[in-house]
Amino acid sequence: MLSTLIWFPVLGAIAITVLPVRQLKLAALTISGLILLWTLWIATQFDYTNPLLQLSEYLPWLESLGLNYQLGVDGLSLPLLVLNSLLTWIAIFSSQEETQRPRLFYSLVLLVSGAVAGAFLAQNLLLFFLFYEMELVPFYLLISIWGGEKRNYAATKFLLYTALSGALILVAFLGLVWLQGASSFAYEALMGQSLPLWLQIVLLSFIIIGFGIKIPLVPLHTWLPDTYVAASAPVAILLGGVLAKLGTYGIFRFGFGLFPQAWATLAPGLATWAAISVLYGSTIAIAQKDIKRMVAYSSIGHMGYILLAGAAATPLSLVGAVAQMVAHGLILAILFHLVGVIETKVGTRELDVLNGLMNPIRGLPLVSALLVLGGMASAGIPGLVGFVSEFLVFQGSYSVFPLQTLLCVVGTGLTAVYFVILLNRTCFGKLDNSIAYFPKVEWRERIPALVLAITIFFLGIQPSWLVRWSEPTTTAMVAAAVPPLTQPAIAQDLSKKLPFISGLSSLEKQ
Amino acid sequence: MTFTTLPQTILSPSTHEFSGIIHRLEAGGSMLPDTPENLMQIIGIYKAYAVPMDFYWRDLLYIAEHVFLNPLPAFKYFLPQEYLDLHNHYAGDDADLRIWRGEATVHPELLEFIEKGELKQKLPKLFHHLSHDRVNMEFAEACMRAMFWHRGMGGQFDPYLDTDEYKANADRAIRAYFQGNPVMLGLYKMFPDMFLEQVRELSYYANLGLFWEVMAPVFFEMSDLYDEGKLTTVPEAMNFLVNGIFAIAGRPIYHHVYIRGECYEIIPKSKGFMWLYEAALPYVEAVFYRTSPFRGTKSYNAQAKQVPGEQDDFHYGILYADVFPVGSAGIPPTLLMQDMLHFLPPYLLDYYKQYCRGDDDLLIQLGISFQRSMYNVTSAVIQALRTALLYPLDDPNPKHLMANRQFFEMQIDRFKRPEARLRDIQRQDYR
Repeated sequence: MLSTLIWFPVLGAIAITVLPVRQLKLAALTISGLILLWTLWIATQFDYTNPLLQLSEYLPWLESLGLNYQLGVDGLSLPLLVLNSLLTWIAIFSSQEETQRPRLFYSLVLLVSGAVAGAFLAQNLLLFFLFYEMELVPFYLLISIWGGEKRNYAATKFLLYTALSGALILVAFLGLVWLQGASSFAYEALMGQSLPLWLQIVLLSFIIIGFGIKIPLVPLHTWLPDTYVAASAPVAILLGGVLAKLGTYGIFRFGFGLFPQAWATLAPGLATWAAISVLYGSTIAIAQKDIKRMVAYSSIGHMGYILLAGAAATPLSLVGAVAQMVAHGLILAILFHLVGVIETKVGTRELDVLNGLMNPIRGLPLVSALLVLGGMASAGIPGLVGFVSEFLVFQGSYSVFPLQTLLCVVGTGLTAVYFVILLNRTCFGKLDNSIAYFPKVEWRERIPALVLAITIFFLGIQPSWLVRWSEPTTTAMVAAAVPPLTQPAIAQDLSKKLPFISGLSSLEKQ
Repeated sequence: MTFTTLPQTILSPSTHEFSGIIHRLEAGGSMLPDTPENLMQIIGIYKAYAVPMDFYWRDLLYIAEHVFLNPLPAFKYFLPQEYLDLHNHYAGDDADLRIWRGEATVHPELLEFIEKGELKQKLPKLFHHLSHDRVNMEFAEACMRAMFWHRGMGGQFDPYLDTDEYKANADRAIRAYFQGNPVMLGLYKMFPDMFLEQVRELSYYANLGLFWEVMAPVFFEMSDLYDEGKLTTVPEAMNFLVNGIFAIAGRPIYHHVYIRGECYEIIPKSKGFMWLYEAALPYVEAVFYRTSPFRGTKSYNAQAKQVPGEQDDFHYGILYADVFPVGSAGIPPTLLMQDMLHFLPPYLLDYYKQYCRGDDDLLIQLGISFQRSMYNVTSAVIQALRTALLYPLDDPNPKHLMANRQFFEMQIDRFKRPEARLRDIQRQDYR
């Protein structure tokens, strides 16, 4: 059942290489549509009151390596699987009719979809790593062949960073298994490990830095603006919507799940790091003159909330974190799609050139309206999905890290600032009569954005559909993690050793 | 008059920024370049404009003459049958001066639109009105108000509105209209100026209605001549307008009110107000050049100083308007564009479908054609003024030609400001 999610797209990717060119997009859409339907069906089969792994599959594979084909889905991975299937469909829908070398393009997109699904489903560390590395090369090709200018530079940068990320993760995985003396890489078997705390911290640091590159967190983010900007719209949707989630998912499952003690020790630092990430991303976004870069930096800011929620590790904040992953995926997808449409129609992404797109007849009125909606969702305006997730994160984190949470709230304020700048310059104002002969926007270009807008709006006013999947699982994760030490005690304990954190906690007390 | 053969050697070339256009005017041409494409656009638009105009003038007169001071004029846009049947003085068999060879009563396309509307369905008038399936009469009223507010643009009509004679005439009509209505009569007693000002506005309703009564048949006839192949160049179209202006220049401008079957002459025909000086020229000045800033384009904030302090400096008419935001909020010409949209001749529809967004941006494409056509009308007015005040174009005396040139340069100077679309309409790809 779960295997279908991995192998159907992979088989589809192979099948597509022999189809005639004219039917390729339709075929890819059908395949991804079927995958989406299948994922939704899995969601209906999923018992969301059960916090444990469900629909597990097991096949012995390379026993001597400890590598077995072990799949399973729980509340942490299910929403992300749905997101992956939805965004794959959206990305294929929003690809240009006249894509160059369509066979390779659609094959790679489907391959990426399968690999990402595999990574979310894998219950074996090595298997996860395999799938994690499997999306690397397809993405490299997707960026370097179909990207904009500077695509080679961007693709290479992406490849190097992601490869390094993989290496760090592999080191951590191997270290964990060897130091434990475990016989297999099975996830569940490794959960109750008992390594000394300092060793745990070392391994966890590898994991955090490894996945932190992918998320990305602030000093590790420099590949992101170049890559997102150079990537074409469908690729950017997948990159920002799905691949970034692989990073946060990894950090939660393997960082928080396997090293709860070390996690609790590092938590205050992580929360501070998250706040810095949020503020940095938002501030730099304000300075951008290119709308795609702005959206890219907004992504850095928004991923920071997830780390904050993870650091706080309360049941509420973790629900918020999963919700934020989904919300960010949807919002980033709609923004990148709309920015892509604007770029194809207007021919520029420059804030100083764009103007008056809200003009009902000669502008792009529906695209602008949806851009306003996307920007508002991103800035956390109530009624849209971004508010629900951000509020859950803040509500869940405030009791643990009040200062960092407040800094993140300032970050949402800054998000509103740069989105208002973006909307003001692009949608409002008046068209420049000398250039305003844009081609009209076809319905097929509007549909992906409309689907996403409806989802964003629906989940914003009916948020239980967003959070109910992950609530039991995340609560169980917290329950599994908390007993060794109670969190305030950790903060107290650490404050004696680390003056920086003690400074923070003394602030907290005031 | 063929303008290409005129001697250009008498005067040295103009050094004006728009010297090319000035030379064209001196040769008897229009501000609008003479291309078949331009001709097709302006004639098609004259036709599309004339049909709603046929409604405008009838309704303006209806309001001035019958609705009058009705404090709740809820049905002032519902033309009674007698105003649909009203004979245009310049069309039909009993015309004072037959300009259009068609019928003097309401234009058949307009009648069909009043009955069926955009929905193409016969429904009660009120239903068409409430679903906004109608002629946008508000645009005509806005033009009227522009003329009313930009007072003192020359002529005798406007000063007359402030004379005691006018006040006495209006007073008689007001008393007659409110006869047996002590509330309104009491109000009139307390605030006489309130009603007097309303009557002045109504006089402008009559003024504009009488102006458009002339323009509608002129435009219909031009369209017919074009269809028959008798108008072949832009200067010909302009000269038809010039000749029309002179032919009708003397028609009287008056304001009669009908109360209980009796006619009250608020502005009697005997005052001798003439169409050219009291209606046409103030109209061109007020509507083509000045009007008032679009609320969606300019800020009325006094500190921002975006709107000029002097009315003479207003430059928001169709000759300056930015047509690209048509269809947005706060852009009044949208109303007119929407009206013209219903009556576009087929050749213009086909033409628009080939360009830009085809069906989707018809409003703007036709708006730009409208701008071109109004530049041609303004050219006609400028040429008519030159004929009236100065010298013929083929005058051999260089001093006379120089006076003509100075007149043209003075006129064109008004288009030097950056908002003016004179530059744009020279390009065929401005659409």
